[in-house]
Amino acid sequence: MRTGVYVCSCGTNIAEGIDFDKLREELLRQAGVAYVKPAAYLCAEDGKRFLETDLGAERPERVVIAACSPREYERAFMQVLERAGMNPYFLQMANIREQVAWVTPDAEQATRKACAQTRGAAARVRLHQPLFKTELEVCRDVVVIGAGPAGLKCALALAEAGRKVVLVEKSPVLGGLPVRYEDLFPNMECGPCVLEPVLGEVLHGPHSANIEILTLAEVSGVKGYYGNFQVSIRQTPRFVDAEQCIGCVECIPPCPVSVPNEFNFGLDTRKAIALPFLGALPNAPFLDARACLRGTGGDCTLCRDACPVEGVVRYGEAVRTDERPAGAIVVAVGFGLYDCRSLPELGYGTVPGVYTSLEFERILASNGPTSGELKQPDGSAPRSVAIVHCAGSLDPRHRPYCSGICCDYAFQFNRLIEKKLSGTKVLHLYKELAMPGKEEFALYQHARSNPHSAFVRYAPGGVRVTGSGSGPVVEYEDSAGNRGRAMADMVVLCPAVTGAEDGGGLSRILGAPRDRFGFFEELHGRMDSAQSRIRGIYLAGACQAPMDIQRAVGQGVSAAGYVLSGLADGRKLEIEPITASVNETRCSGCRTCGSVCPYQAIGYPPEGRAASVNELLCHGCGTCAAACPSGAIRGNHFTNEQILAEIEAVLA
Amino acid sequence: MIPTQTHPDVPPLASPFEPKIVGFLCNWCSYAGADKAGAAQMSYPPNVRIVRVMCSGRVDAQMVLQAYRNGADGVLILACHAGDCHYLEGNYRATQRHRMLVRLLAQFGIQEARCRFDYVSAGEGEKFVRVVSETVEAVRALGPLTRPSAAGE
Repeated sequence: MRTGVYVCSCGTNIAEGIDFDKLREELLRQAGVAYVKPAAYLCAEDGKRFLETDLGAERPERVVIAACSPREYERAFMQVLERAGMNPYFLQMANIREQVAWVTPDAEQATRKACAQTRGAAARVRLHQPLFKTELEVCRDVVVIGAGPAGLKCALALAEAGRKVVLVEKSPVLGGLPVRYEDLFPNMECGPCVLEPVLGEVLHGPHSANIEILTLAEVSGVKGYYGNFQVSIRQTPRFVDAEQCIGCVECIPPCPVSVPNEFNFGLDTRKAIALPFLGALPNAPFLDARACLRGTGGDCTLCRDACPVEGVVRYGEAVRTDERPAGAIVVAVGFGLYDCRSLPELGYGTVPGVYTSLEFERILASNGPTSGELKQPDGSAPRSVAIVHCAGSLDPRHRPYCSGICCDYAFQFNRLIEKKLSGTKVLHLYKELAMPGKEEFALYQHARSNPHSAFVRYAPGGVRVTGSGSGPVVEYEDSAGNRGRAMADMVVLCPAVTGAEDGGGLSRILGAPRDRFGFFEELHGRMDSAQSRIRGIYLAGACQAPMDIQRAVGQGVSAAGYVLSGLADGRKLEIEPITASVNETRCSGCRTCGSVCPYQAIGYPPEGRAASVNELLCHGCGTCAAACPSGAIRGNHFTNEQILAEIEAVLA
Repeated sequence: MIPTQTHPDVPPLASPFEPKIVGFLCNWCSYAGADKAGAAQMSYPPNVRIVRVMCSGRVDAQMVLQAYRNGADGVLILACHAGDCHYLEGNYRATQRHRMLVRLLAQFGIQEARCRFDYVSAGEGEKFVRVVSETVEAVRALGPLTRPSAAGE
């Protein structure tokens, strides 16, 4: 085994601190070292040319470069080896600049340490195995789960890039929650007006043919991995052909069945055949089989009889499960609200007149249960509204974090209340106020300048809502310890934003973990928040963390960017070879490796007892190799033999 | 400034014991932290021989024991801070293993101070220098690691 050692002087950076002749003399005694050559600036173009030519002339089998940190130029030198016809993994660098010359003022000590580090590299590189990137044919289609702002923008960006997208939405309507809001902070634009241009593009735009929209649909199973998923999608029938329906809603009034309307959080009722709300897209009613008389054996055909278009109402449809191939999956399933019943002191569910913010959004919405009229169930206008910020937030017993959007929408409520019923008293009770952003402060200033507003900063646990004959009573203790009491016709709670309610099931299906608050866990909070911990599964919007529409949409487009760069057109998927691999004959099947793998890259095929590493999912950390009690797992490029040889040589 | 043992104006009468220490550094945080100390040209004792691993979770007991067997007087394992692991949770595995390891080492009569675990981020050049200096001092104070003559080789 011929090893060639190149020692870079890095100008004077290394040369001044380390005695090259001594280093050469010492290294030549090391087994396998055929030659030790000095070089001036190996990283410069001249240096790399010299290296390439010299490798061609000397034909070493392994190469050690003693120079700067491998974090700087290892990749570049690996490319030189490749150009010289060598396997790029036959290189080992010794860091004699950052970790020796620059930190060891005494030349003799520095030379000794440089010798040790370079010896370690030479001992290790002898054991390097040739490694090869592998390439995989991939499917470039994408499944996007959730058709809120994040999912819609993601699907649109992908479709515009020519990708086929399957947009899976569990409700009968597109647009997520904001399409149900009257106005959006910070600029009081109407929710549907902001979403409709995007919906228009998705439904009828020039790239809409690339988007297959499946409403009333849920992902029920996923097989395969990044590049080649098979996604099972279970679709509940709409019983109305959305393509043929003209949206006249003649079918709805004759329906004899009324049930609580979940699209208005049960604040009113809807028919068994219904539109979620006026203006919902796609503009076609859906028939709820659980409510329909036909579902309980009846033979009612009133809706079909009323429909002016033949064949649009189709009672014969059944639940269907289809498979779609996809190279990547984007999760954009949105958020949930902290269950206010866990905060009994706030009276939700026990004191009439207490609403969550989402319920209140619907009361304010023109297409909501009161047609946008701000009124109480008895029809009277409220004289006062108390808005409780931070419900369940900033409280270690409930949710320790700030959701970051509640103050914004609470001050938007203030503005809307003032607009709709000028003179109504609005009491803001808050623990902390947070309205960051270049536009967001304006709504707060409006609320402050509203002469009918009052602000109380309450101590944690300092608000109590009780019922009386004439509506809710809000008792509070402010942060200075003063107690107060106010009558409020309506109380609006701003609960902590949480992970989507049914996210747990999806998390299990996808194998993409959630954090302790129920949000899908990102790969890195700042650098890779749109990537899940599983390769090929991306996150967009409030399913990852509490966020406003701006951030959610940004993440949707960001997820599309990851998909387009990872599964680029005309390119196969490259798999890095620094992964773990299992020696099946030594594996006892104890599954320790699987329990320590953070990427779920280790599986246990039913046919054998041995573990098997999925190279696509493996990131090459080697934690499993260290954990394996039988030494059956090899961490490629960081094998036990290589590391042990390096330890021995640095200590020699 | 961290005092170093270099440049004595007067040669010592007997050269002091210079411990050999193997430092296992994870690629993403602590190895980068060591590079950072280098870029800032902070000097520190040359006693630590650095072995780079991708993740502190790769360091297994066998490697630490091998270091002692091959003549190390101490071992240093440096990881990303809690929550910062490039591989999400390899550093937690490393802490768990270290805790187990020091109990094992105690049975061999190897003091806990000879096997230090700590967290150094990519930006913590100064902390790297401090941890290395402290470890070198601690091991120097303990003296050479005495191995039983019949070490079972």
